[in-house]
Amino acid sequence: MLDEESKKKAFARIAKIVGKTHVTKYETDRILNAHDAWPLSEAKLRAGEILPLADMVVFPRSVDEVSKILVVANELKIPVIPVGGGAGTCGGTLPIYGGIQLDLKRLDQIYQIDHDSMLVRVQAGVVGIDLEEEVNRHGYTTGHTPTSLRASNVGGFIATRSGGSMSSLYGKIEDLTLGLQIVLPDGSIIETKAVPRHSVGPDLRQLFIGSEGTLGIITEATLRLFPLPEVRRFRGVSFPDVHSGLVAIRKIFRVGILPSVVRLYDPEDAALSFSMHFQFEEGHCMLLLAFDGDANKVKIDEKHSLKICLDEGGTDHGEGPSKRWWEHRYDMYYPTRLTTGGYAIGDTIDIVATYDKLENVYHAMKIAMEAEDAVVMSHFSHMYQNGGSIYMIFFTSQPDAESAWATYKRIWDAGVAACLREGGTMSHQHGIGLSRSTYTEDELGSSFKVLKQIKEVLDPNGIMNPGKLGLGVRK
Amino acid sequence: MIDSEKVAEQVRMCAACPKMCRHVCPTFFAWRSDAPTPHGRALLIHQEIVGTREIDERGVEVLYQCLECSHCLTWCKPEIDIATIVEIKRRDLVESGKEPSGIFKLTALIKDTHNPFGEKQTKRNDWIQRKGKKGRKILYFTGCTAAYRETDSAQDTVTLLEQLGFLVVISSDEWCCGSPLFRTGNQEAGLEQAAHNIEMLNTIDVEEILVTCPGCYRVLTNDYPEHGYELNKPVRHISEFLNTMLPQLPVMNFEGDVTFHDPCHLGRHSGVYDAPRKVIEQVSGSPVVEMERNKENAMCCGNGAGLRTLFPEYAKKIGAERIRQATSTGAKYLVTSCPFCKEMLNSQTNTALNVLDLSEFVRQAIEGRDVKTD
Repeated sequence: MLDEESKKKAFARIAKIVGKTHVTKYETDRILNAHDAWPLSEAKLRAGEILPLADMVVFPRSVDEVSKILVVANELKIPVIPVGGGAGTCGGTLPIYGGIQLDLKRLDQIYQIDHDSMLVRVQAGVVGIDLEEEVNRHGYTTGHTPTSLRASNVGGFIATRSGGSMSSLYGKIEDLTLGLQIVLPDGSIIETKAVPRHSVGPDLRQLFIGSEGTLGIITEATLRLFPLPEVRRFRGVSFPDVHSGLVAIRKIFRVGILPSVVRLYDPEDAALSFSMHFQFEEGHCMLLLAFDGDANKVKIDEKHSLKICLDEGGTDHGEGPSKRWWEHRYDMYYPTRLTTGGYAIGDTIDIVATYDKLENVYHAMKIAMEAEDAVVMSHFSHMYQNGGSIYMIFFTSQPDAESAWATYKRIWDAGVAACLREGGTMSHQHGIGLSRSTYTEDELGSSFKVLKQIKEVLDPNGIMNPGKLGLGVRK
Repeated sequence: MIDSEKVAEQVRMCAACPKMCRHVCPTFFAWRSDAPTPHGRALLIHQEIVGTREIDERGVEVLYQCLECSHCLTWCKPEIDIATIVEIKRRDLVESGKEPSGIFKLTALIKDTHNPFGEKQTKRNDWIQRKGKKGRKILYFTGCTAAYRETDSAQDTVTLLEQLGFLVVISSDEWCCGSPLFRTGNQEAGLEQAAHNIEMLNTIDVEEILVTCPGCYRVLTNDYPEHGYELNKPVRHISEFLNTMLPQLPVMNFEGDVTFHDPCHLGRHSGVYDAPRKVIEQVSGSPVVEMERNKENAMCCGNGAGLRTLFPEYAKKIGAERIRQATSTGAKYLVTSCPFCKEMLNSQTNTALNVLDLSEFVRQAIEGRDVKTD
């Protein structure tokens, strides 16, 4: 937290920039704007704890205002924590060292669509669902549909390197972002040009995608658009085990088919998600597929994919399971009495690995996490030609707060250690934030020093979101 | 009404939600902050219930930055009723004298003058011009907004009813129904209005009561009986009433599309969605051109639950957004069925979109006259 003198000085200068109504020191505002959707934060709030608070929250309206605020913060060496939709699951917006929470929600402009290039320029504070609905009106989709779509915003997508449920076809946000506007810690405004490809040195745009506010603040992006698909067809196939399901997925990609949705539920997750609604053999897995595009092409892709699945021992369940998942895909994001009762806490470790390692990572993580008192269920989703992601979902319920938070940490430690040991990468789309910050150095290995050096050059005063992404950790 | 145990369970869940309804919350739209959102309100109340923190002055303000429109409930899978929970909390705040001064003044004004505008009771029915002298008697409970601010709409209602063959009774002793008081937390003052109105309404010899204001409708049909104030005759909203008389309604080519704004108290709070649409369809000869957000998913006009009293600029911003949504349908007419909504929407409209209350719309058809375009 800042001393009173610094706080007063910063507040007065920032109020001059944005106007008094758009900066607040009230404790109520600082509490209500403090947290994202990190399950540990949510569990602590339920348990009556107060989370770390910023000294003030500021709501700029323009890139110029963002720039001027950073000049003040940099001069006074005050931490700045950028806030998007507040829907992240890793504590990335928690102001653990106090300072200024810089909330981007008032940067909410969607500029004109470039129909020729199929691009849209948009400010960072636009909520995902608002952008998707707007481009839908013009016959497009962004192709980016994370479960948090109603709550997360464009800046947060890019800052956390997020992925949507149809990333197998459309790609993740790093594939969907063509241009960026960023404000650096010293207040300078830079832009990376929106072009489909280039050969002008390293791609600086990618440096800021996934930087989680540690290198600068993303204020605007140019995103790719896709025509709304003529049809979207669904197919569900059960498999006797994870292995045969993964083989089928691999072979589908190998023949050049790109389904929009590929989700393989392990026996536990399949039982929880589908056994109430569909008949399939106990202990079997469920593969959900969806295909987007031209009706003829989709028909061929679906037929071919189904044949591959049946050849690998799958049982066809028609469109039912996959379509049901699509129609209820936001449901799991809502709280329930079970998941919010007592000191219950659940979370997801969304790892990613290549096919040669994926199954080993899954088994190793499951064993390690279950050994720490976790109920674990998983699905393989966001699959690609070379590998894919696993949602290692866990749940634990303990009698008191202290043991709940300690158990939660042990499960994470064990899960990530097993993932890294088996050659996986600890996050596919949720990012690092606070929950994975301490593992970053182990994950990046020898390349971590490059990230650290970049941070030191761009942010010599260490003001940008300290403590996240393994950077700027203070005593 | 929900008990305290249920309130605690619901706010605990809402406080732990990743904000799945926030994108439709009109006060989030207006402020673009996480404070005036369903999640923010729930967290404040949760922290007080579990003893973490008392609600401070700013917290009180946040709890009054809510329209109680219940749009969040449409999007809430666990069906957490934040509007009701906020209203229950506002009662505590009023009881302990912690309500914002603007609400205190509003309450005093209604207690003193029996309307939220501070107008004289003797002027309440100044606008009435009656021609009909016979027919089945029907009591028109005008509500304060129609009586003092939307008198054209009120007069059109009277004339319309007379043209349909009714003898319209309007009491000079009508008081505010109490809606602004119930919704902002002063139940006691609301019940004072209720006691007076019940006595007045129950002694008038008519078969039924008609209202045009959905705020009045909700109070008369829900709040009054919930507190033991029973009316001895049925209450109908004008849209339901006209829906039973479709063959008698006029038909006119309005030469432009018509869209409809669902008032929160009529739609989400009373479940009346189809009646006004059927009336519009009958009168204009065409179905309503729907806004993207309609029926259960309709955006509030911004005028409810004390928001315009306390935060007029933010309320207008919400009203202007609803006008933008209506304009994007390409409609020439925006019809609503609430004088209160009509007042807000009309204040924010543009020259291309004519805002009309349902009675005004039907009257246009009877008269065959063009509507205002300035």
